[in-house]
Amino acid sequence: MASPALKPQPVSPLEFDPTIYHITEGQNGTQLNIDDFCLWYGATQALHNNTLKIERGLVTALIGPSGCGKSTLLRSLNRMNDLIDGLRVSGSITLDGEPLFGPQVDVIALRKRMGMVFQKPNPFPMSIAENVTYPLKIDGVTDRKILAEATEAALRGAALWDEVKDRLDQSALGMSGGQQQRLCIARAIAANPDVLLMDEPCSALDPIATLKIEELIDELRGSYTIVIVTHNMQQAARISDNTAFMYLGRLIEYGATETMFTNPKGRRTEEYITGRFG
Amino acid sequence: MTDITADRPVRTSVTFVRAKGSDVSAVGEPFIWGMGGALAFGVIMILGFLALVIINGLVTFWPKPLEEVRLSDGRSFVGEPVRVETYRPSPDQLSKLSDEVKAKILSDGGFANRSLYRIGNFDFYNNDFQWVADFEVAGRSKPADLYLVERQEWGVFIGKITAVRAGDESLENPTYNQINAHFDEARSLRAERARIERVEIGEINHRLNAGRLEIRRAVLDAGGDENAPSVRRITDKVAAERVDLDRRFQEAGQKVNDVRARDGRFSVSLTEVGGQTKTLPLSSLVRFYQPNKLGPGESLAIYGSRWLEFIIAEPREANTEGGVMPAIFGTLVMTIVMSLIVAPFGVITALYLREYAKQGTIVSIVRISVNNLAGVPSIVYGVFGLGFFAYILGGNIDALFFPERLPNPTYGTGGVLWSALTLALLTVPVVIVATEEALASVPRSMREGSLACGASKWQTIKWIVLPRAAPGIMTGLILAMARGAGEVAPLMLVGVVKLAPELPIDFTFPYVHLERSFMHLGFHIYDVAFQSRNSEAGRPMVYVTTLILIGVVLVLNVFAIQVRARLKKRFQGSQF
Repeated sequence: MASPALKPQPVSPLEFDPTIYHITEGQNGTQLNIDDFCLWYGATQALHNNTLKIERGLVTALIGPSGCGKSTLLRSLNRMNDLIDGLRVSGSITLDGEPLFGPQVDVIALRKRMGMVFQKPNPFPMSIAENVTYPLKIDGVTDRKILAEATEAALRGAALWDEVKDRLDQSALGMSGGQQQRLCIARAIAANPDVLLMDEPCSALDPIATLKIEELIDELRGSYTIVIVTHNMQQAARISDNTAFMYLGRLIEYGATETMFTNPKGRRTEEYITGRFG
Repeated sequence: MTDITADRPVRTSVTFVRAKGSDVSAVGEPFIWGMGGALAFGVIMILGFLALVIINGLVTFWPKPLEEVRLSDGRSFVGEPVRVETYRPSPDQLSKLSDEVKAKILSDGGFANRSLYRIGNFDFYNNDFQWVADFEVAGRSKPADLYLVERQEWGVFIGKITAVRAGDESLENPTYNQINAHFDEARSLRAERARIERVEIGEINHRLNAGRLEIRRAVLDAGGDENAPSVRRITDKVAAERVDLDRRFQEAGQKVNDVRARDGRFSVSLTEVGGQTKTLPLSSLVRFYQPNKLGPGESLAIYGSRWLEFIIAEPREANTEGGVMPAIFGTLVMTIVMSLIVAPFGVITALYLREYAKQGTIVSIVRISVNNLAGVPSIVYGVFGLGFFAYILGGNIDALFFPERLPNPTYGTGGVLWSALTLALLTVPVVIVATEEALASVPRSMREGSLACGASKWQTIKWIVLPRAAPGIMTGLILAMARGAGEVAPLMLVGVVKLAPELPIDFTFPYVHLERSFMHLGFHIYDVAFQSRNSEAGRPMVYVTTLILIGVVLVLNVFAIQVRARLKKRFQGSQF
């Protein structure tokens, strides 16, 4: 049990050290470049000067205690935060060199390049096949052959095809939680994105379903750039190549996962990973 | 660790048995009883009301026995007993009675019983009903040979059928079967005559009128010049058609006369107990039977045929007899048109308020105003509907599209369309509120899932939010329909009439006539109860019509609830 004396004291922004970097670089360069990114909800600043590069084809985990801004950062990547009133940002994020924020950005086209999987499985109230082809329906694709091929490809990609191929026209709401989450991954894949954003995708699932999702993420590595927010440090250690540790809206340390969990460089990272707070 | 139980005293007194007179709020049960009682009270009120309507509605058409009543002063009459009540005879009346009777009444505290009889024969007696006090009655009997005759005119006849004639053949004191032998033929002749008059002559009249309007239209188009070549051409064309129409009119008139002559061969003589006799065409009888001779099967047949007539026939006798088919039809058409109008308007408004409008003071004010609209007295909507829809909108439509029919209004007066619009206005707040609730209950995760797939806001609403909210929207529509179908006050201003000869949907082009005025069950109840010659005669019809109105609302609701259940199953499924 941690004694009260070891709990972190409230700190002023000035007390934070600069971010420590020691990432594993992928062979295909940088996909997302986040540079000095700050974000405010009204008067509250949620993200402070985050700077990190997300490598193409690798799995990047965002960890940190609740309220540290990791979900906010993830949701900035496909601009889901736009739905919130009074949102302001500064700094920049680029996807393959193209800025995400700015008046000329087509948010809808952007989101098509950024598949997203949420904390709770959220299949739509439609059949399994219709769920998977929803991104194509948005684009106005009606050719049955194309739709059928896309359904199979996406479901195979999400390791779900063998389980559901006989009941594609049944409601997706009748599936188990783990299947629903893999269906949501299939739906994200069907849009043919570059990046997959996962916001605690296993937090509502049992250990076996979690294992299947982790295996799936491992299979998807290389084909997609994956950014995953997780509360589960073992999960981050198992599946990610790079891990970013965030605390109070700041990026404390961003480095190769192995090093992060065996030999963290930052004091706060070490405290968090060893379970002293959080 | 210290042993915390060590120093604690052991309780010896009883501490959790409820003390008498303890605070009721701590006990709680009285509040549960109170809530249960309030619910029970509400349920009992509703069930009582339904039972009253259903029982009275169901017994109305059952054939009742006839009684012959002989009075102590030697007069007698025949009637259907309606009900018995206790009353207090006036001192004036008492003073005329024998001492024995008077003593009896006084010993009962000045009260006596009296019975109400439906005596019919309005054409002989100028009265349908008669009260008779028990002390005036010398004897009652149930003669088997008495007939109850429902007639096309003058209401029921009660008495004897003394003669029936078919052509030259005449039968005195005919049996039931002898009358019935000719009855179907006579009735079918009458129906044939009505059909020719309504359908064939109706169509000819319609075309004659259309020709007249065509000429007027041409004159108006030509700027009022009746001798313009274009007008000439039309006039010639119409005149040519007219020759043909006139000939067909003559033929149809001849046909009607033929049928009438054949029908005229059948007649029947009715004699009431006082001996007065009346001869009338056999076909003017609707139904006749000998109530005191009926077996259960025959009673049931009459009961069934009366219900059938009530549901499929048009009203007679200032609505107190016959059926209510036009009113059922009018209510249904009006309610459905109203739903078709109110659903899109309510849903679009709610969508904008909930999904697109920036939530702030103005939206709050709009929302409060919408909710308050539901509290405006419905008659105010009626006045608005008459002024705005009928006179302004309808008047302008007439001036633009139907100038040749003026000064007769087409859309510029009450009609189904304006009634439906007025009621749509009245019920739109219900739909808006229900839809907003339904939209708000769509989980955020659904919307985010759709947006994250790259869907636009509208695509998300169309494919995810609306289907998911559909059951809730249906609930609003069900409430709106129930409210709309039962509303009468505004309709009296914007299109409901006592008797509408033409239905809003029929077989003449363009088939749907939303400009026509129509009959409505709610108004029919009011009309029969308060506007008819004899409220006593209308009373059973009030119950039956109310029963039908409740039935129509029930059918519409059951249908809508079925649709909602399907939507729910399809779009909400199992929750997670």
